[in-house]
Amino acid sequence: MKKMMKSAVASLIMTAMAAVALTGCGSSDSGKSAGVETSSAGASGTASGLEMSVMLSEEPGQEDALGNALNDWAKETGNTVKQIIISNDDMLTKFPAMAKNNDVPDLVSTTGLHQLYPDEFEDMSQILDLSKFNESALKIVGKAYTEDAYKGVPYQFTTTCMYYNKDAFREAGIEAPTVDNPWTWDELFENAKTLKEKGGTKYGFAADVSRARYDIMMYANGGSLLEKDGDSFKVTVNSPENIETLSKFVQANDEVMPKAIWAGGTTDNPVEYFKNGDAAILLSGSWNYQTFSADISKFSFGVMPTPKGLVSRSAIIGGGALAIPSSAKHPELAEDFVKWLYENKDHYESFAQRDKGPSVLKDYAYEPVEDDAKADFAIIQDEVNQVTDSFMVDESASWRQYKDNEYRDALKQAVAGSITPEDALKGFAQELAEASNWKMEY
Amino acid sequence: MNQKKSKNFRHTKAFWLFVLPSLVLFTVFFLLPLGMSVYFSFTNYDGWKTMDFIGLENYTKILKDTEFYSTIGRTVVYTVVNLPFKIAIPLLLAVLVTSKHLHGRTMIRTWIYIPVLFSALVAGITINWMFGQEYGLVNFLLGKIGVEPLQWALNPVLATVVISVASNWVSAGYYMLLYVGGINNISPELYEAAEVDGATQREQFFKLTVPLLMPTTFIVLLLSTVNLLKEYALIQGISLGGPGKSTTYMVQYIFDKGFTQLKYGYASAAGVLISILFIIIALIQFRATKGGEV
Repeated sequence: MKKMMKSAVASLIMTAMAAVALTGCGSSDSGKSAGVETSSAGASGTASGLEMSVMLSEEPGQEDALGNALNDWAKETGNTVKQIIISNDDMLTKFPAMAKNNDVPDLVSTTGLHQLYPDEFEDMSQILDLSKFNESALKIVGKAYTEDAYKGVPYQFTTTCMYYNKDAFREAGIEAPTVDNPWTWDELFENAKTLKEKGGTKYGFAADVSRARYDIMMYANGGSLLEKDGDSFKVTVNSPENIETLSKFVQANDEVMPKAIWAGGTTDNPVEYFKNGDAAILLSGSWNYQTFSADISKFSFGVMPTPKGLVSRSAIIGGGALAIPSSAKHPELAEDFVKWLYENKDHYESFAQRDKGPSVLKDYAYEPVEDDAKADFAIIQDEVNQVTDSFMVDESASWRQYKDNEYRDALKQAVAGSITPEDALKGFAQELAEASNWKMEY
Repeated sequence: MNQKKSKNFRHTKAFWLFVLPSLVLFTVFFLLPLGMSVYFSFTNYDGWKTMDFIGLENYTKILKDTEFYSTIGRTVVYTVVNLPFKIAIPLLLAVLVTSKHLHGRTMIRTWIYIPVLFSALVAGITINWMFGQEYGLVNFLLGKIGVEPLQWALNPVLATVVISVASNWVSAGYYMLLYVGGINNISPELYEAAEVDGATQREQFFKLTVPLLMPTTFIVLLLSTVNLLKEYALIQGISLGGPGKSTTYMVQYIFDKGFTQLKYGYASAAGVLISILFIIIALIQFRATKGGEV
């Protein structure tokens, strides 16, 4: 009897422990808060002496455009800004938890919360004149996935971007491609091999662990995630051409890339590899330009056009949006800030000079001062024009509301070699088709 | 009779007074989440707005999911391979730090115990710095002596070895203390008698110390099994479950489904199934070791 009691008690404890492992897993908080104290009196008609909480995806650096704009607004209005730092991935779980507890920030800097949960955010067309915004930026970054409403406004308009280490290229005797004469993807991988051998870098090529980076290769080779099927869509992510593209990407990881990153066995960031001079070419986002300009001093870097695939070149555009949660404690402060930023030419100009990226407003164009920066910016602007129709079709389906991280995980498993490219894409295609009720084409 | 009843009542009241704080905590932090998990497992709860009752759908999906089975298989192999080390290392350390011939015993015990105080995530990140493939200390030192850097983050076996080393490093001090308590409870007269009978040190260890420590070994076995099956934070700090899914164990699987893919109902069902598996394993251990009775 005693033994039975012991067994029963032990079993109960074990069950509870396993349950707690589940219910407690989400409790780790990667966010942190930092106050920006100001004491000057209010300057714009807005209430002063209040605190506006802002959710950001990372700690803003000294030259960060949004961070500086927030500080300037706080100084001018006599309010304070409380930063809540939560990574973009974690926002997806933390924001719903905040909303459930009625404890949302007043302003959110996000890459998609407002698109996933439009009901939770204010309609920005009621606050700002949206006709001022670049239409592509507004549509891609600001529009909700499931309804025709703009629940966020873009503050950062970015495109996929190839950075290269000029010193490594010089050492390897390689000339960077030009917009008029871009490399093919095969040439990029060949040159990456040469750079690895002769350029003094450990790796020829590195790419952010983001499906958006991989996808430009897919679109360039004529692939897509979906195709139009009347009023609906067909899942085509496991098409033969996409399997071929993923196989090439796996091979590139084996030969010229830091494979551990895409294989998912390390927390290392490829951006750091580039900054440290360990990767000669980096496929990342144009928003990194500002950081690289400030941080890279031991070699000179530049931007080169993305390579051609079997069909065309391609680029993916995206960016960051500012959105105001409907249940925020001080939405009036957030509204005042966005008006302060977008409706005053000087404020936006100062912001855009720091951002160093394509402008989100139609009537303003950022123009770099230095020649090198001018050349780089011209390439970045050209990238924006390389967006393919297939990307726009995929975006119009808002497929990410059904599945997102699962796609990246499937790609990672193929790179790790635990499943074949064909199985990886087929598995994801089935998941996407099941979640969205779209048919599978292959 | 009445007096006896009254005594029993007083005893019961005192008993409940002692038990109450633990009972409240146990209910709030264990039973309630358990009940909620079981309830969620029958819904399509997404952690926020959707929560419809869907019956056994989550369970049928999980039982058809090959990833679920491969994760269980991986977790069981990891647990079984690590268990001997979880017992042998603390036992040997305990014998060492209770030896009369060792100087600075308290200091050595303290040093061995310090990793227990680290949060598992901090320990994981620390180990990651040491075994990082590109910028880690171990590969740096290997490079200095002309050895090719090891692919800690690419080779599934090496990645598992790193996690195992970290897991043993973090837990050895705690289990060592349990064994120290057990060793101190063994009567010195037994060793004196064994010496008189001509038993060598080795014979004393295997025929006296080890059998008499069976109740402690049972506790260590039970706790390490549960902890190995639940290994999570350490892995988040070291490999994030990679390369591929090669170090993704049960709790990572649940976490990914629940908190990354926002399928809380599905993750809860997986949690319930895994809990049942834990119970079965614990019962087998109870039976096999007779509850640690000597």
